[in-house]
Amino acid sequence: MRTSKDIDGPLETPVRFVFPQWSNLLLPTVIGAILVVPIYAALVLTYGLSPVTHNVGYMPIQPIPFSHKIHAGELGLDCRYCHNTVEYAAKAAIPPTQTCMTCHAQVQPESEALKPLWESYGEGTAILWQRVHDLPDYVFFDHSAHVERGVGCATCHGRIDEMDVVFQTQPLSMGWCLECHRDPEPNLRPLDEITNLAFDSLRDQTAQVRRGLLDISHISPSEDCSTCHR
Amino acid sequence: MNTLPRPFLFVLIGIAIVAMIPPVIIMRMRSTNQTQPRIHWIQDMDNQPKFRAQHANSLFADGRAMRQPVSGTVARGELRADTHFFQGIANDAWATMFPDQARETPDLLARGQEQFTIYCTPCHGPIGYGDGPVNQRALAVMGDPARSKGTTWVEPKSIHDADIIAQPVGQLFNTITNGVRTMGSYKSRISVRDRWAIVAYMRELQQRETANRANAPSVGQPNNQSEGNQP
Ligand code: HEC
Ligand code: HEC
Ligand code: HEC
Ligand code: HEC
Ligand code: HEC
Ligand code: HEC
Repeated sequence: MRTSKDIDGPLETPVRFVFPQWSNLLLPTVIGAILVVPIYAALVLTYGLSPVTHNVGYMPIQPIPFSHKIHAGELGLDCRYCHNTVEYAAKAAIPPTQTCMTCHAQVQPESEALKPLWESYGEGTAILWQRVHDLPDYVFFDHSAHVERGVGCATCHGRIDEMDVVFQTQPLSMGWCLECHRDPEPNLRPLDEITNLAFDSLRDQTAQVRRGLLDISHISPSEDCSTCHR
Repeated sequence: MNTLPRPFLFVLIGIAIVAMIPPVIIMRMRSTNQTQPRIHWIQDMDNQPKFRAQHANSLFADGRAMRQPVSGTVARGELRADTHFFQGIANDAWATMFPDQARETPDLLARGQEQFTIYCTPCHGPIGYGDGPVNQRALAVMGDPARSKGTTWVEPKSIHDADIIAQPVGQLFNTITNGVRTMGSYKSRISVRDRWAIVAYMRELQQRETANRANAPSVGQPNNQSEGNQP
């Protein structure tokens, strides 16, 4: 850059400021930024605040390394063997120690992994299982309303029978609930396939069968706010 | 000079690098599982100071929010004085008939089949010969010293053994309710009526298999395909 010192002559002569040549690049840079930054911000905000980013994949460490893959998958136990309240109650109860003991009193009683189970059995204390799926307390949810109407466990919980440690596969956001309440048909299955996680309601039955399920049982989930916020 | 001066360039490159951080974090969060719960920036009323089923509560010695009835008390409608229905005992002996509340109707049988498949099949097998997947796995575990870890598995009894066929329905009901020797109790999980439904279905299985054995040439062999053979 030229300064007044480089020029001979009286100091009073004002020096003309000349933009350097690179400043021609500023305009495209600024226009580029104006175009790119909003797109960037929009993408980061939508994906960054999305429930899919925040809620899906939550996999807390459990006090006992209980594996659904072994018990529900390989041993073929029905979900209701342990979560027996799911058909008639809002909660799908986490099984009490007694349920594990129907087998583990004999099966691998000396296993290190089962120490907390025996402690709980001996002292009557609770095993501190960590919650995986947890709706906010202002939301009302009812398992029986869904399970008795033909929505299977796999639709909302994924392939639990292939997980060693349970993790959340669905966002459980309001938008997700409403998406199905507006159009439940693709997610309906016969009542005897509810706990069959391998059954795919889209792949294993025709649209006609699903329509039949919808019509015969008059399934019309409500979108009223008071259904879920009561 | 046709490029931006260095300080400018560095700042721009710096911004570009910093701008890459959020997408990388987001991509990581979407593609991996996290063991930490999400951070609740805005609490709303997500966690209200109330207790729900199966939540912890430090106010009580056992740490549970759900309370048990005080010992020695009976809730209304829970007296269970009808020993036939609730215990399978009629006239001080195992009941031989089904109680009035659970008559052997097709509905009861269908319910029994469903409940039997959920609660009994894992050990006793689909038809009741004691060959369920849990039995097979437990025997394999017991036979493998590295995996045994003290396993002492008693094979589930076949419900088609003569002594079980001879048992009155009340005794079968009691087996489900209170368990027997190494078999655990199912009274907390299966409702009273469903237990009678299971008994009805077991009787049906026993009759079917007895008839099958009488017809089939291989007398006494477990016939696992029996369901398809029925006329
Ligand atoms: C042998 C008993 C047993 C069986 C069978 C079983 N579960 Fe579980 N389940 C548990 C226990 C114990 C927990 C709590 C520990 C954990 O989260 O891993 C649990 C947790 C869960 C959770 C997470 C609950 C939460 O905290 O949000 C879901 C969902 C679940 N089970 C679904 C299923 C489904 C679907 C099936 C049928 C395929 C099934 N379970 C079969 C014992 C069982
Ligand atoms: C119907 C029978 C049955 C029930 C009920 C059951 N388990 Fe198991 N469990 C088994 C069998 C069989 C194995 C052995 C699998 C193997 O190693 O091949 C096993 C293995 C395990 C192991 C691995 C032990 C080790 O040392 O590798 C854990 C941990 C476990 N179970 C926890 C539980 C808990 C907790 C519950 C209660 C929610 C439960 N189980 C209920 C049958 C059962
Ligand atoms: C319509 C979706 C949906 C279906 C179908 C469904 N669940 Fe759930 N499940 C949920 C939601 C949402 C929660 C969280 C509830 C809460 O936080 O109060 C949950 C929670 C659970 C829990 C934790 C305990 C509880 O009730 O909070 C278990 C265990 C469970 N589900 C098992 C099952 C099993 C087994 C089935 C199939 C028989 C099933 N679920 C079917 C949505 C579903
Ligand atoms: C995959 C489909 C599906 C999803 C996802 C789903 N629902 Fe439903 N929901 C149904 C169906 C089907 C019914 C039954 C409608 C009927 O009986 O006509 C129902 C009924 C209900 C009811 C009514 C119960 C009653 O007593 O009338 C409530 C409350 C409810 N759902 C809450 C929720 C909440 C909260 C979520 C999200 C966490 C959710 N649902 C997600 C399909 C779904
Ligand atoms: C099918 C069930 C369902 C229905 C119907 C429903 N909601 Fe929700 N709502 C939910 C669930 C689930 C959440 C929690 C979402 C989360 O955890 O991010 C929620 C959250 C909210 C929130 C809090 C959002 C936040 O993050 O602060 C508001 C406000 C709300 N709902 C208003 C409404 C209104 C208004 C209606 C009626 C037009 C309505 N809801 C109908 C299930 C429902
Ligand atoms: C965890 C495995 C297991 C399950 C599940 C199970 N049982 Fe058993 N059952 C056994 C074992 C083991 C024995 C043999 C007990 C012994 O001889 O020590 C047995 C024995 C029996 C007997 C014979 C009792 C006698 O007097 O000798 C009957 C009847 C029976 N079970 C019925 C059932 C019914 C009905 C169910 C379903 C509600 C069921 N069992 C579920 C393991 C199981």
